[in-house]
Amino acid sequence: MAKYIIRRLLYLIPVLLGVSLIIFVLFNVIAGDPTAVLLGKNATARQMADLREQLGLNKSLLLQYLDVVKSAFTFDFGRSWATKQEITSMIKQGAYPSLCLTIPAFVISTVLAMLISLVVAFYRGKGIDLFIRLLCIAGMSVSALAYILAFQWFFAYKLGWFEISGFEYGFPDFIPYIALPTIVWILLSLGPDVRFFRTVILDEIYQDYVRTARAKGLGEIRILLKHVLRNAMIPIITYTVIQIPFLILGALLLENFFSIPGLGGITLNALNSSDFPVIKAMAILSSVIYIVFSLISDILYTLADPRVKLK
Amino acid sequence: MKTLMLLLVGSLIFTVGCSKEKNYAEREIHLVSPEKIFGFDPIHASDQYSSNEVGKVYEGLYEFHPFKRPYELMPNLADTLPTVSEDGLTYTFKLKKGVLFHDSPAFKDGIGREMNADDFLYTMRRLADPKLQAKGWWLFDDKIMGLNEWRDKNAALDVANYEEPVEGLKKIDNNTVEIKLKRPYPQFLYALAMPYSFVVAKEAVEHHGKEFLNYPVGTGPFILNKFDQSNTIVYHRNPKFREKFFPSEGEEGDDKLGLLADAGKKLPLLDKVVVHFIIESQPKWQNFHKAKVDILEIKDANISQTIDEKRDLKPEHKSKGIRLFLTPQLDITFFAFNHEDPLFKKNIKLRQAMSLAYNRADANKLFYENTAYEAQSVIPPGLGGYRKEFKNPYVKYDIELAKKLLAEAGYPDGKGLPDITVQTRNEPVARQQIELFAKSLEKIGIKIKVGMNTWPELINKVTKKQHQMYTMAWGADYPDAENFLGLLYCPNQSPGSNGSNHCNPAFDEQFKAATVLQDTPERSAMYEKMNETIAHEVPWVFGFNRTKLYLTHAWIKNYKTIEFQHSQVQYLNVDLEVKKELSKKF
Repeated sequence: MAKYIIRRLLYLIPVLLGVSLIIFVLFNVIAGDPTAVLLGKNATARQMADLREQLGLNKSLLLQYLDVVKSAFTFDFGRSWATKQEITSMIKQGAYPSLCLTIPAFVISTVLAMLISLVVAFYRGKGIDLFIRLLCIAGMSVSALAYILAFQWFFAYKLGWFEISGFEYGFPDFIPYIALPTIVWILLSLGPDVRFFRTVILDEIYQDYVRTARAKGLGEIRILLKHVLRNAMIPIITYTVIQIPFLILGALLLENFFSIPGLGGITLNALNSSDFPVIKAMAILSSVIYIVFSLISDILYTLADPRVKLK
Repeated sequence: MKTLMLLLVGSLIFTVGCSKEKNYAEREIHLVSPEKIFGFDPIHASDQYSSNEVGKVYEGLYEFHPFKRPYELMPNLADTLPTVSEDGLTYTFKLKKGVLFHDSPAFKDGIGREMNADDFLYTMRRLADPKLQAKGWWLFDDKIMGLNEWRDKNAALDVANYEEPVEGLKKIDNNTVEIKLKRPYPQFLYALAMPYSFVVAKEAVEHHGKEFLNYPVGTGPFILNKFDQSNTIVYHRNPKFREKFFPSEGEEGDDKLGLLADAGKKLPLLDKVVVHFIIESQPKWQNFHKAKVDILEIKDANISQTIDEKRDLKPEHKSKGIRLFLTPQLDITFFAFNHEDPLFKKNIKLRQAMSLAYNRADANKLFYENTAYEAQSVIPPGLGGYRKEFKNPYVKYDIELAKKLLAEAGYPDGKGLPDITVQTRNEPVARQQIELFAKSLEKIGIKIKVGMNTWPELINKVTKKQHQMYTMAWGADYPDAENFLGLLYCPNQSPGSNGSNHCNPAFDEQFKAATVLQDTPERSAMYEKMNETIAHEVPWVFGFNRTKLYLTHAWIKNYKTIEFQHSQVQYLNVDLEVKKELSKKF
């Protein structure tokens, strides 16, 4: 397994080279000159030319690309062009609120979705199954924005149960601020999660080994929890673990409406201000995290199903 | 286990349910910034929101009077208005004595020292430092003797040499500075009232290095206490703030409104200022109506929730003591033609026809709830050069005349005219505005397409002249019509601020002649003439001069809307008794 892990980690090299190339091409060829945006509405042609020189945009494309590659491998992203802040500190400062929101929301929604899926799988084809499936579809049909606006208006503004917006660093100070967006996240996730988990569990439920277990006299609940769930774990792990990198990148809409100073806003601001170093940092960071978590999901496969061998 | 779970859930509910108690002991104000700021370095404070924050901790030589209108400059760090030589080129500034920088580890023993002439001269050099690429450089570019040469010379060095003399920047004594200009620059004092030129201390800049933007050390009325880059900013009153007093004069009627009730009191009047970054309009609105925010600018959909058809505050808000401030803004919205596009360059009748076909009444109702004013030309009301009686003959809705002009332009009923793309930024309201424009022009047979762009894409298209038309708004940097007329001055064409690439040699000559004059009736007359010439030329389809809508709670005292807000907060006050009483209603 160690060899496999090392090999997968080595894949990071071509992936980072590729990501660096893609973002470099997107930024340098498609996005165009950032200096007018960076200098503001009164920028002069001379000042724009000077800034281009200072940012290294007059260097050959190869040298510029090598700069991107260097920062991808050293994780030295320098300072933001727009805010002049150190990018590492921006990421650190944004990651905390993002994770305070996304981790509890993700864990609760996944566990809840699993439980509901087991219940509907247990009662498959019966009224409760139909009712929950209908609820899932109805829930998924409403846009995320509608949930956010309605919940914020009713529970925070009208009833005053939660803070309307904002964030406080430190536990438990942040709880009043993340409670409502967490609930919205859970509601938004439950629909697709329950439908997916239910399908996966039902795929397993009709397998031969389930009939064998029943023939041996095992109870339905035991079959579900011990046998079906375990065999359904591989697609569930893939589906779940692969979402984790996106948790780190924040939840843009929720962060915006609840004024949570997370990473989603940082990325959006960078895109709106042609802030290439921040865009670059976020793209590289997300690629690395994605690869690491896909590796973790591979390792988890072996735990869920000993037949899986990592070679 | 069960007990533990119950305790955990119980404590979470308790934590969620515990709202912060309101503070009735301190004079504290809560404000909103709808956008993140670019730190506290004055030389980069180009946007309104960064400027507002810089202005709480730093000060300039001059500031705009908080109550007098039209806008009037008054000395701030300068002791008086400067003495100016007869040729208008040499300005001598006397600085106030006894002005202390905030305490900071940058200074000896951590104690803020007295501000002096060297600090002001250092600030001016810093604006010109080629390594820093100050966003405020345009204000001083090619204006001060020797400063551009100093900038060019230092561009080649690794670190700029601040010790090297600059001909136009001279220290007379510890509190006196002389500045020599290359040519008359009547807007110079306005430039010294803008946050870009707010005075910084060399020790603080050097001590904090690249982190200077996060550790402001100014002379201002407030000291930064906490800066979460995209969450909140907290300031406390500067206990060592100099003897600066609330003004006893204002505009006519200000006294009756109670705006001068604090006259003679030492500034600042507040103990604490908290700025919350809230981007979306719903949470901003809700926080204000829960009294968690004290002053709120109202935009877009919230306008109709706030005022009725007569532009009065709705009764449900009045009953809570909320006050409405409707103030015309020094700004303009427009649909600009690219005058390098052969379609528009010489076809004035096409431009006039398009302007006549634009249904501004619908746009005003739909986007501004009839609070905006139809822009008659480039200069907005409130500035010298604007004449109230002047009505642009092409700023009206006249489909028949538009059709006639379109036919004379060579495109009867739009036949033969290609589709025209208007570029805008990728926002719903921006799109809706062009869609209404397109619907209007469809009536005379002109087809308008919408070009949606991210902000960088839009700026790139404009600066590279890769557009047919684009839509934008321009807000005043300072209260001088030059700031608006310059948008159509040929040498400013893309990548400069003249994004429409409009060129009219006669207009350019008038511009050059007028903008070096001091603010006199002669200059106003020249501005008027230029404004009216431009109106007939229709270089843009003029949109609106918008109105700012602000709401404040009844306990906020001394509030008067000001276009240049950076120094405003020091004059605000909170009536704690009223706050305690009225807060029960929220």
